[in-house]
Amino acid sequence: MTHASVQQRTLQSRALADIVVDRIWRFFCSVRAAVVEIAILALLVLVGTLRGSSVPQAIADTFPVTAPIVDRWYAWDVYRSLPFAGILTLLSVAIAVCTINRAPGIWQAIAHPSVGTTHGFLRNAETSASFAASIPPHAFAGQLGTALRSKRYRVLTEERNGEVHLYADRWRFSRLATFPFHLALIMILAGGIVGAAWGFRENEFYIPEGSVRELGHGTGLHVRLDDFSEVYREDGTALAYRSDITLMRDGQPVQSGSMTVNNPLTFGDIVFYQSGFGQAVALKIEDSAGQVLFDDALPLGPFQSRLNPDSPAARIDLLPAGVALSVVAPDENPANAPELDTLQLRPGQMFFMIRPLGADRPIAEPIGATVSQGDSIQLGDLTLTFVRERRFSVLQVARNPGIPLFIAASVLLIGGLAITFYFPHRRVRGIVSTTTDGSVARLAPIARRDWSAKRVFERLALDIGRQLGIGPELHVNEPASALTGSRQSVRPSL
Amino acid sequence: METLVRLSFYCFAAATIAFAASALCYVAYAIGRVRLRQTTLATNAGTTMVSHEASLEPASLGIGRFATLLAWFGVAFQVASILFRTVAGGRLPLSNMYEFSSTFVLLAGVVYLLFERWYGVRQLGAIVLPLIVGMCAYIWLLPAELREVNALIPALQNRPLMTIHVSMAILAYATFAVAFAAAVLFLVANRWQVAWLPSPDLLDDLGYRAVTIGFPAMSLVLILGSVWAYRAWGTYWQWDPKETAALFTWLIYGVYLHTRSLRGWRGSRSAVILLVAFAAVVFTYFGNYVFGGLHAYGGV
Ligand code: HEM
Repeated sequence: MTHASVQQRTLQSRALADIVVDRIWRFFCSVRAAVVEIAILALLVLVGTLRGSSVPQAIADTFPVTAPIVDRWYAWDVYRSLPFAGILTLLSVAIAVCTINRAPGIWQAIAHPSVGTTHGFLRNAETSASFAASIPPHAFAGQLGTALRSKRYRVLTEERNGEVHLYADRWRFSRLATFPFHLALIMILAGGIVGAAWGFRENEFYIPEGSVRELGHGTGLHVRLDDFSEVYREDGTALAYRSDITLMRDGQPVQSGSMTVNNPLTFGDIVFYQSGFGQAVALKIEDSAGQVLFDDALPLGPFQSRLNPDSPAARIDLLPAGVALSVVAPDENPANAPELDTLQLRPGQMFFMIRPLGADRPIAEPIGATVSQGDSIQLGDLTLTFVRERRFSVLQVARNPGIPLFIAASVLLIGGLAITFYFPHRRVRGIVSTTTDGSVARLAPIARRDWSAKRVFERLALDIGRQLGIGPELHVNEPASALTGSRQSVRPSL
Repeated sequence: METLVRLSFYCFAAATIAFAASALCYVAYAIGRVRLRQTTLATNAGTTMVSHEASLEPASLGIGRFATLLAWFGVAFQVASILFRTVAGGRLPLSNMYEFSSTFVLLAGVVYLLFERWYGVRQLGAIVLPLIVGMCAYIWLLPAELREVNALIPALQNRPLMTIHVSMAILAYATFAVAFAAAVLFLVANRWQVAWLPSPDLLDDLGYRAVTIGFPAMSLVLILGSVWAYRAWGTYWQWDPKETAALFTWLIYGVYLHTRSLRGWRGSRSAVILLVAFAAVVFTYFGNYVFGGLHAYGGV
């Protein structure tokens, strides 16, 4: 192989790679592709939304043929699926690439816009205005510039073939606002990833009044529920409830405070929420040797006892004694099914029952008994004391390091949108040329098919005319979209 | 208290009547007058032939003005209705479907009338006002218990956040209704060249302007909803159906905004996307009937 042919092949493959890279780059920059990507994302979100609906189930019930499909559809967790992650990744990359791609051009348009234009552009503009004056073009362009500047437009001029070309714009920096807006979208996703990777969330942190529980998750914190209170409405539904807690580290209190629904307690970047509450029972359990196996409160609620499925109940495993203890409280809701209540407990009573945890255990059969508050009973080897009734509170505890990103993104998103929409970049081009009795200026906005921008320009033209004492002539070309294209010139009275 | 609630309802009834009358006038104004022309021709055979020709002409400006006036009446009654209810409940009425929809009726009326003033066109009313009347009918059909003023469950008790979150949602939906009307008229005007309809360009712009209010409002709804969820439930996004339905709607309007800068899309195709997007709004609004979720309380 000669040296030349090697070079040739490298060139060819370089060209191929270039083409591929260029294609991919252009795919990511394409707004058309972005539209499709956003539409696909929207479709997936719609599918996820409809998952909670019973309509597909109804379809499956009516047409059993569709049942397998409907079942699979219900089973599909869209938001954790590969296509969903894929489309989010694709959009993020597209936004990043698109930003890199657009930035130089937009900056150019802001910092160094081209001033020169053509008579054709002005003539064919959907709206334009001409002003006549009896002074030379230079002087007239100066006057127009002053008038435009007084309307807060930036004015740039350039001389070409004895004519003065003029470019004026306003709110040019609003062109940049699209970047914070689009980047905010990536930041929100990033916030979600950061939160999932480095945060934690404890949905059901049960803690009885007066008890201390370890928070875990590497926080080194213990939580003590000092007090719990609630307010009911007449119909028995909860109006408000509140937990007062103390956070402790190494046995020392570090913060106390209270929380209600919607008013969480914050410690550093950890947030404690009031989520629910229920009944608890304070218990003391000793074995035959007098050793205390348990001296704490037990939340009743997360467990259902067969003895009365409607009552608050709890179960704990006492490993040293080799038994499981269940506690059932009285059923105080008259609306519950009384026929299922095999215990018939009265207020102030609890039912305790222990059963063996394994086969070769001292107690072979479950044994249970009803106990009143303050009393003790003997079950097998154990002495159980029903100390008193308590309440427990359910907290949610979360740490989400993605929140600052999320907040920053929200500000950028709303700010970016507001600037883009409410302070749009307005641009005007024009040429001032010599006539027999002085000069004429023709100005037109860059506002193709933009009704508002055309109105803004027309108002601007009238204002400038008033300032200079010249009645402008407005020219209107119906946009190409209308079939009956017409041209008219009007001279508005001032 | 009782009296105020009843008074509020009477005002709503008056508003319904005003809006219904206004809707009729707007429709009459937009359709124009049907002019029947009779031509009599003499034939060679000495007989005469009569030909009838129907044509449409712009309606008189008077009926348009009357429509606007009635719409303002409707708005005034609805303001009174909401005021009475606010006093009765000690809070803005935003918490169940009855209250939410009443506020929507008010805001849709106000937003529409503002756009009518800004753009100086009335034909849009022929679409927006019937929508408002439909909403009033829906309110009438809601169970009567919802007309009572109730205390709120704890999760809904964050007043400033709830007020802004929900009223932004209503504002967004109201502007989207106007954008929808603009899209419908755009498609009509673009297809049939009805001389007295506003120019397609104006309608395209009007729809876009409405979205430039609705889209940021909808973004705020999503953001404030997350902030609220974070404060109440400890997580800012739960993929709850109402949340995702709102996100879906927001994304469709995102698609719309992009298509406006695409050659060959701006105009008719953008308008069609606006129709789809408004379907998404309706879906989000009434979604509680389709899916459950956290937003299901408050009596639908
Ligand atoms: C979920 C994803 C996205 C959403 C919600 C979104 C939303 C928006 C919105 C609301 C606008 C209008 C604001 C303006 O005119 O500047 C816009 C404009 C724009 N977006 Fe996006 N966008 C998304 C993704 C993308 C992607 C992936 C690209 C890159 C290919 C992109 C490129 C653009 C461009 C070029 C404009 C300016 C269009 C114009 O000048 O009229 N967007 N986007």
